[in-house]
Amino acid sequence: MIAIWYCVVSFMLIAYITLDGRNFGAGMLHWLVARTPEERRQVVAAIGPLWTWHEVWLVGFGGTLVAAFPKLMASAFSGYYLAMFLILWCLILRGVSIEVGGHINDRLWQGFWDFVFVFANVLLAVLFGAAAGNVARGVPLDSQGNFSMAFFTNFGVHGHVGLLDWYTVSIAVFAAVLLAAHGATYLALKTAGSVHDRSVILARYLWAAVLPLFVVITTESCTIRPELPLRAAANPICWLGSLVVVTAAVAVFSGLSRQREQRAFVGSNFVIAGLLATGGATIFPVMLHSTLAPEDSLTAYTAAAGPNALRFASMWWPFAFTLAIVYFVFISRRMKER
Amino acid sequence: MNVTEPAFWSRFQFGFTIVYHYLFPQLTMGLGWFLVYWKWRALRSGDDKYNDAVRFWAKIFGLNFAVGVVTGIPMEFQFGTNWADFSKYAGGVIGQTLGMEGMFAFFLESAFVGALIWGEKRLGPRYHFLAAVAVATGSWLSGYFILVTNAFMQHPVGYHVEGDGSLGIANLKAYLLNPWAMVQFLHNQTAALVTGSFVVAAVGAFYGLRKIHSTQAQLYLRAGTLAGLVASILVAFPTGDLQAKMVGHHQPVTLAAMEGRFEGGPMAGVALIGQPNVETRRLDNPIEVPGALSFLAYGTFQGYVHGLNEYDQKVWPDNIELLYYSFHLMITLGTIFIAVMALAAFQNWRGRLTSSNSTLWILMLAFPLPYIANTLGWMTAELGRQPWLIYGLFQTRAGYSKVVSAGDTIFTLIGFTGLYFVLGLLFLYLIGREVYHGPHAELPGVKVEPEEVHAV
Repeated sequence: MIAIWYCVVSFMLIAYITLDGRNFGAGMLHWLVARTPEERRQVVAAIGPLWTWHEVWLVGFGGTLVAAFPKLMASAFSGYYLAMFLILWCLILRGVSIEVGGHINDRLWQGFWDFVFVFANVLLAVLFGAAAGNVARGVPLDSQGNFSMAFFTNFGVHGHVGLLDWYTVSIAVFAAVLLAAHGATYLALKTAGSVHDRSVILARYLWAAVLPLFVVITTESCTIRPELPLRAAANPICWLGSLVVVTAAVAVFSGLSRQREQRAFVGSNFVIAGLLATGGATIFPVMLHSTLAPEDSLTAYTAAAGPNALRFASMWWPFAFTLAIVYFVFISRRMKER
Repeated sequence: MNVTEPAFWSRFQFGFTIVYHYLFPQLTMGLGWFLVYWKWRALRSGDDKYNDAVRFWAKIFGLNFAVGVVTGIPMEFQFGTNWADFSKYAGGVIGQTLGMEGMFAFFLESAFVGALIWGEKRLGPRYHFLAAVAVATGSWLSGYFILVTNAFMQHPVGYHVEGDGSLGIANLKAYLLNPWAMVQFLHNQTAALVTGSFVVAAVGAFYGLRKIHSTQAQLYLRAGTLAGLVASILVAFPTGDLQAKMVGHHQPVTLAAMEGRFEGGPMAGVALIGQPNVETRRLDNPIEVPGALSFLAYGTFQGYVHGLNEYDQKVWPDNIELLYYSFHLMITLGTIFIAVMALAAFQNWRGRLTSSNSTLWILMLAFPLPYIANTLGWMTAELGRQPWLIYGLFQTRAGYSKVVSAGDTIFTLIGFTGLYFVLGLLFLYLIGREVYHGPHAELPGVKVEPEEVHAV
């Protein structure tokens, strides 16, 4: 039961990152792919009407997390206190810049909100990347299941670590490049004209950069947590996840080189989903690894809500999720037709 | 609770951000059913003036929804960031409804709100009506799940204590159908309808006074005043009355503090005026309606109303003055709402509403008052619950995140203050622009071409 809920929570996070990641990526590249106000409007229009629908998956993830693993939410959110609020503020700024920027047809006004938009998206991608790095590396959890972290300490990866160190920064860079590649692929699919052409070129470069970076962070991760590769090798889900990543990566490269943007974008989603799923399966059942004492780590079994809570949630959650998919299919079908 | 308490700043930050956040959902919850009503009239009559009204108010709804989303996510997150010990203690129970809110209500509302604003042509009238119903239902469902969560904190039911001392859910049905939640839902939702009605009527009055958009002005004024009158009465009776009885029954010490009653006894009066003096333990300069409180709380003038002196001061709400004034000001405003809406409805019945300048001025200027009354109502509920975070089970001072320093919280509180100030300015500016441009303006923001709305 707890393993299933671990999968559900991971799935919600993966859904959020793939859905909203395209917006982070497109937002980061906003200035690079769009030069004129009309071109910028194309980028915003690609994100515009659906951003609340994408962001709502974060609420769905948060809600599912608190229902299934309340103790993890309590430890992680309070431990990452300032980083959490930076993420929240960036989400607010990003939403505001999308909603407000287009309301006044003035170059300075739109230029300012374009800046806010790019800034918030870059910071969001970096922060989510650093957060992923923190989960992989571990945090200084004490025996009470609490931790509190500075933004950085001595940039080392053992003992009393900070939010940022050489490892988490490299993961953040990888995440930013990966999400930028994802966003560029999305823009290649959704835009036309010169925005499209620039997006395709950028997507090729960025995906080419993702490959070596991936090798680097994998090597780093194996050095820092030497027990992980062995655990991954013994876990069939990791093999499956890796297979998905490889297949999807092939789809991305073939799609981009043959102007099959739909294929490339689907592949791009699956690369991210596969990477996150493999990572999630590798660390299971540990949800937050302790850098101080591994036995203090928070696992899915210690962080889960009581058996009743999980049993009740197993009744309503699938129903709610099915409804959400029904709305989405209905809306996207109806809104497509003339 | 004072500044030196570690939980103070977390409480202050939660209070500030929730009060600010709730300014937006109370309007969307109130406005949602106006949209449904007008869309339904448009469907039945084919008269395009109703569609104009839907188009205009959907834009107002959309802006409120967007600000509601971005200010609402910090609320959910603060359960973890600032109230970690509370989440560890009660997450096994309240996680159910927080999860349900995200999964049932939020997905519904956010899926259809774009369709409501941009999709009229592509959806066709029937499905556009469905979108309005979905959005209104989503906003009320969201309110319901949050109120169940709050009701558990006011009157915990359906739980049991797990092996590690934390709370777990024992009976989901009992938890979801908490009698406190039922009463609070009715009271809170009618209060949201009051806000919606006053805002709709105020915009109608604004156009009426400027003598522009006269068809639309008439529509807003009529719907706003009639719904406003009904909602203003319902918010006082029976829902407010039921809510007070509920407090008297389950939180007698809170009722005593709300009324500033230090001595218990039968024939308890309702103070129209008076200042609670906690040091001398009496109500200064009171003018009371004798027996009224006994009657309101227990249905008989002989009903024994408990006084604060009967309880240990440790379980008194920790800010009796603020609680007393919040409650009394809310009631005063509630009475004013009935009077204003009765006047407007009377003028409407005489056919003179659009020509009576004084009534229009009153309606135009009155719209902030329901926002204040809603805020005061929530202050009454939350101050009255103190010193408990979960009534009788868990104290507020125990619930904060031990690893977060006061300095961190002050820093983020200041950040929110600045960010929300700017957000408020932008919001008022954009709403003001929409109202100024009126119901026949083009859609703002990005134009959406059909091929740009797209599945995963």
